[in-house]
Formats: sequence, C-alpha cells, structure tokens
Amino acid sequence: MSGSKKISRRDLLKAATVAGIGGMTLGLSKVGEAASPKEKPPAQTKSKKKILGVDVIKVGGQGVISGAHADYGWQIQSGAILAIDEINAKGGILGSKLELKFMDEELKPAVAVKNARYLATDWGAHLLFGVDSSGSAMAVGPILPELDRICVFDHASTHRLTEELVYGKGIKQIFRIAAPVYQESNLAALIFKEFPNIKRWAGIHCDYEYGYSVWALFKDTLKKYRPDVEFVSIAWAPFWTMDFSSHISAVMAAKPDAIIATPWAGEGVMLLRQALMLGVFDNIQAWFQCMGGSVDILEGISREVAAGKFKDKLWATARYIHNYPDSPENNKFVASFRKRWNRFPNYSAENAYSTIYVFKAALEKSRSLKTPDLIKAMEGLKLMTPAGERFFRPEDHQAIYSVPGGRVVTDPNYPIPILGDLKVFPAQAYYRNPPFEALKMDK
Amino acid sequence: MNEGKKDMETLVFQGLVGLSVSMYLWLLAAGLTIVFGVLGVLNFAHGSLFMLGAYFTFTYYGLWGVNFWLAIALSLLSVAVVGYFMERFFLRHIYHLDHAYQLLLTFGFILIFDDAVKMIWGGVAKIPPMPSFFEGTVSVVGRPFPFYNLFIIGTGLAVAIVVWLLFEKTWWGKMVRASASDREMASAIGVNIPTLFTGVFVFGAMLAALGGALGTPVRVVAPGIGAAMIIQAFIITVIGGLGNLKGAFVGAIIVGTLSAYGILLFPVFELFLIFLIMAVVLMVKPQGLFGGG
Repeated sequence: MSGSKKISRRDLLKAATVAGIGGMTLGLSKVGEAASPKEKPPAQTKSKKKILGVDVIKVGGQGVISGAHADYGWQIQSGAILAIDEINAKGGILGSKLELKFMDEELKPAVAVKNARYLATDWGAHLLFGVDSSGSAMAVGPILPELDRICVFDHASTHRLTEELVYGKGIKQIFRIAAPVYQESNLAALIFKEFPNIKRWAGIHCDYEYGYSVWALFKDTLKKYRPDVEFVSIAWAPFWTMDFSSHISAVMAAKPDAIIATPWAGEGVMLLRQALMLGVFDNIQAWFQCMGGSVDILEGISREVAAGKFKDKLWATARYIHNYPDSPENNKFVASFRKRWNRFPNYSAENAYSTIYVFKAALEKSRSLKTPDLIKAMEGLKLMTPAGERFFRPEDHQAIYSVPGGRVVTDPNYPIPILGDLKVFPAQAYYRNPPFEALKMDK
Repeated sequence: MNEGKKDMETLVFQGLVGLSVSMYLWLLAAGLTIVFGVLGVLNFAHGSLFMLGAYFTFTYYGLWGVNFWLAIALSLLSVAVVGYFMERFFLRHIYHLDHAYQLLLTFGFILIFDDAVKMIWGGVAKIPPMPSFFEGTVSVVGRPFPFYNLFIIGTGLAVAIVVWLLFEKTWWGKMVRASASDREMASAIGVNIPTLFTGVFVFGAMLAALGGALGTPVRVVAPGIGAAMIIQAFIITVIGGLGNLKGAFVGAIIVGTLSAYGILLFPVFELFLIFLIMAVVLMVKPQGLFGGG
C-alpha cells in the first residue's frame, strides 16, 4: 500500500494543533463541572444565629480522578466525605454544616489553578484543600493571597511548597497536612544506611518535580551517613509512561545493589510488575518503592506478594499506613472507613479526613472564617489524628508527624499486604528544619 | 552519567527491550496508517480503540475468567463491532467534507469513549493478572529477558507478515489498494467502495484492539491510555510516511528502540530525542521515510 496523497503533512500538523486546542477547551469545560449534583447559588444565606455567620461552610477540594492515578482522587474524596458526614451528624462546626465540592485537577497545574479560582470565587468555597500533583501545588500556592483563602495541601509533597513558598516567600495561606518528600527520601536514607552491603544505588524516578526532589534529598542524606555509596544509574519517566521495561533494563545495566523508585499509583504497580518480569528481584538486594505503602499499590501487587515473588526485598513507606499506629483514633478511622467504603484507607484518605478535622479545630479556635484569623489559629495547631499527633510548625506551615517505613509483607489479619518489619524514626530525625538551604536538584 | 552503558551486551539487551515496546506502537500505528491511506480519514479516536481493546480483554479475562486467548479474540470482535458503528453511521457521512470535520468528529469520539469507560468501569486503573504460562525469563546476553516480551516481538512480526500478505496477495487487498489509489476508477470497475471502507476501518480498529489487549497482563488498564499512546503513533506515521504500512513498521521500531537507547544513554533529555528525530526526518525527507513513493 503506498501513501495516499489526499492528506498532506500540513493537514496532519494543522489537525494536531486543533486537537491540542480541543484538549485545552476540554480542560476549560471541566472547570465548571459540579461534583455534587445539586448546585447551590454562590450567594450566602447569612445567618445571625450562627457563630461563623453562615449556615453552610463550603469546602472546595481537588484531586486527580481520572487516569492511572485516579485512585488518589477517589481516596481523598472518600476520606473527606467520611469526616464531613461524621461532623455534620454531630451538628457541624459551631452550628454550621459542611458542604463539599470536589474537582479533577488532572495533574495539570493550569487546571488546578482554574479549579481553585472557580471554587473560591464562583462557587464560594470558604476553605480549600487538595491537590495531588506537586506541579499543581506550586501553581495554586501563589494565587491563594489573591483568592484570600487558606488551602490545606493533603498530598502534593515537594519540599519547595513549604520551604520556598511559605518559609521563603511568606505565603501564609499555604498549609500542608501530609508528610512531604522527607518521608520517602530522608527516611529511606536512614533505613538503608544500616545495610553495609548495599553500596550501589540506582533510581527510577518521575520526570517532574516530585521525582527530582526525592532523588536529590535521598542522595544528599545518604551520602552524609555513607560516603562509600555510589549512585550508579538513573532513569526518568514522565506521567503516562505505559511501559517501564526500557527504564528498568537501563538502570539494571549498571548492576545496582538496590533501586529507589518514585512512580506512584497505577504506574507504581506497573513498574513493579514489569520489574518482576525482568527478573530484577533475583539480582538486587532491595527495592524501595517510595509510596508503595499506599493501599492501591498494595492491592495491585497482592498476588505477587502472596506468591513471594519479591523475595522480601520490597520496601516502602507512605504518608500514613493503615496498620500504624495502633491507637484508638486510627483503629476507629480504619473501621469506619472500611464500613463506609469497603476498602482500606490509603494515606490520601487519612490526610483528607484529618484535613477536615483540622478545619474544625481551627474554626473552633478562631471562631471566624476570615483568612488572617484562620492562619493564626492554624499556626502551631496540635491535633490528634489517625496518623498520630500532628503539629503545624509555624515557620513553614508543615504538619510534623512520623510514619514508619517497612518491608512489604503478607499478614493473616489483613486481606492485602501491609508494611511489616517497621522502622520507626521520630519526625525530627528525618524532616528538614528551618532555616532551609535551597537544594540542588539536578535532573 | 549511567555506568556500564557502553558495552555491546548492554546495547543488545536494551535494543531488544526497546523492540518489544515498539511492537505495541506498531500495532497501533498500523491501523492508523491503513485508515489514513485508504479512507483518507484522520482518526484521532484510534487510541480509544486501543483502550477499548484493553478494557474488553480485562473484562473477559480478568473479571469473567475467560481463557486468555479467547478473551483476546472476543475483545477484537467487540472492538470490531464498535468500529463498524463508528464507520457505518458516522464517518461515512463526512468523507466528502473537509478534514477539519473528520478531526472534530473523531475527537468527539475520544471524549465519548473516555467518559463511557469511566461510567462503565470507573476511573480507577484496573490490573488484570498475568497468565501463568507467560511467566519466566530466557537468558539473553547473560541477563533475564521476559518470555512475554519475546512473545510480543513474535506477535508483532507475525502481524506484519499477515498484513503484508493480506494487502499484497489477496483479492481483497488488491481491491483495497485499487480504491486507495483511485476511488472513482475502482468504483467504476465494480468495487463496492462503502463496504470496502467499512471493512478496512474495522480491520484497523481490530489491530488497535490487539495492541491494547496484549498490554493487559503487564500494564494497567485506565481511561486515557489510548490518548497517551496516540501521540507516539502520530509521530511514527509522520516519520514513516502517511498511509504507508512499511513506514509505520519501521517508524515504530525507530521510536521504540531509540526511546530505549535514549533512556540508557541520555537520561536527561530522552523525551526530546523522539521529537528531534521527527524534526530531522521532516527536514531531510518531508514525505516521511517511505512516503511519496
């Protein structure tokens, strides 16, 4: 079959441009989409009887609810809805009920910014929370002063959000409830400095903000304790990588002792399955899957863990794990979540659930919906949450709490794998502390 | 930056891994370029057919427990039905219009299919199991190479041969080629053009579905996986020459293997490499490597 000349290359390129524009308009059109079926007019019904002055406190959330990472958006929504229903059932916050609207940020900074604007100005959100992508967080953070809203970031984990935007630039409307990249980078370094035979490290990392910061911090911290380690190979994978085989075989060519990997959600599952296929676990001593302690990954690899295919070499952490700590708060949260949604909560679910309770604690302290009052109430706030006690450090608005890392194992008490052989470090041991020095992040 | 990258064995192994990745791209680009070449239609929704192939296979094999091979066959048939409806009731009515209309229509199909998939299967990625008979590795230059990747390479090559035989050696293929080069003349000598076009479109859809189906044991099934692949498929058709099957095959191998080598040798700007190659081809041979012949 030889080429038909009916379609010229110019037509194709023109077509591709139009498709690009189409994609952008798609993004635009989604901004207006309502997550809840009943749309309420933005105008507030002022109530003199309520302490906060409103009948309904509007909470606008964002997460990714489509594609390979969609489970995170689902988990964020599920955690938030659970907390809101619990609070509303007990009469709300100072007599005002909570209402949620949740939007898809599509892992696109521009979409996240449009969503935040829509939620704050058109829909009338009093409080904002989200987002999943670090790129989206870095884009939403700077517009918060203009929107005059606080936003509690419950997933996006780049250290730059709190170190640069809050501590450096003084954007006080930003708070982060989730552990930042210190969790997977510095904690991993503390765990693996104790393995004298692991000297050659390789990385398979996300080709965006998140992957760059984890790899930079991990190398930096591990090198301090272990001058003898080498970082022998690295592969970068963008969003929507459908096949990691080339990345895996490229880093394995350098014969590393261990691999640290950041692809998350569905991509993390795909990466681990393809690593198994390539016989990686016969040839390395350890694999640290940064957010591998997240429920979606544990569910996705449960067959392989049960069959012992990872040979006890797979390690992971998360920004909360459902089997730690063994506290009344956590046990109650896991039980309620499972009853309501018939699944285990991942860290996004806990982070979102606790976000709503942080809003409650802050509002009860400030007794005001005004942003400066809320900021004052949030700074230095201490609250017991399922993940343990959280403390919002006033300098950078980062919540301080500790989550362990461990080996991915099966446990007869759980239908899915859990993290076992837990390595617990106090948060102070692995969080970066102010004053912050800018980190060199070479790709 | 990466150590141990220079020796021949590493390059051979990386090339082979890249070749297996190329085969998914080839299956996708093949249908795209056939539909281009014969129908003159820019089917942006071709990636959605790839995605549907994955979802149907996941449903039959992963959910209903149907035998893997039967699940793939059923998935191809299911996508064939979808393709039939797309061509017979929608595309057929706009062949005579400007390409912009075809683009709008097929772009609309992307949105419809993505949302339909979310409604039926949900937005969360699906992870079907690997059939046990595909597990294991073979040793290639002393390193473990997955048996499944060998199977994918074999399948891709087999499809290339079958497609070539179909178009070069069969009566149907001759009719297709005749109508691709001169639609009016073919019609005048008795070729039923509308039926033929439906057949070609359905065939292209099934090739896309095969690519999607074969990915299910090792990848994830999620809304948007088609859109993630279609850009690469377009790059391949540009490199190889629009509507040219041989070009699609060679283009897929170039894109797949050079990506793999890029990841190994130039990890910092690997993504840029493919676009660089496309730009060079466009400058040196604007019709694509095999185009304009």
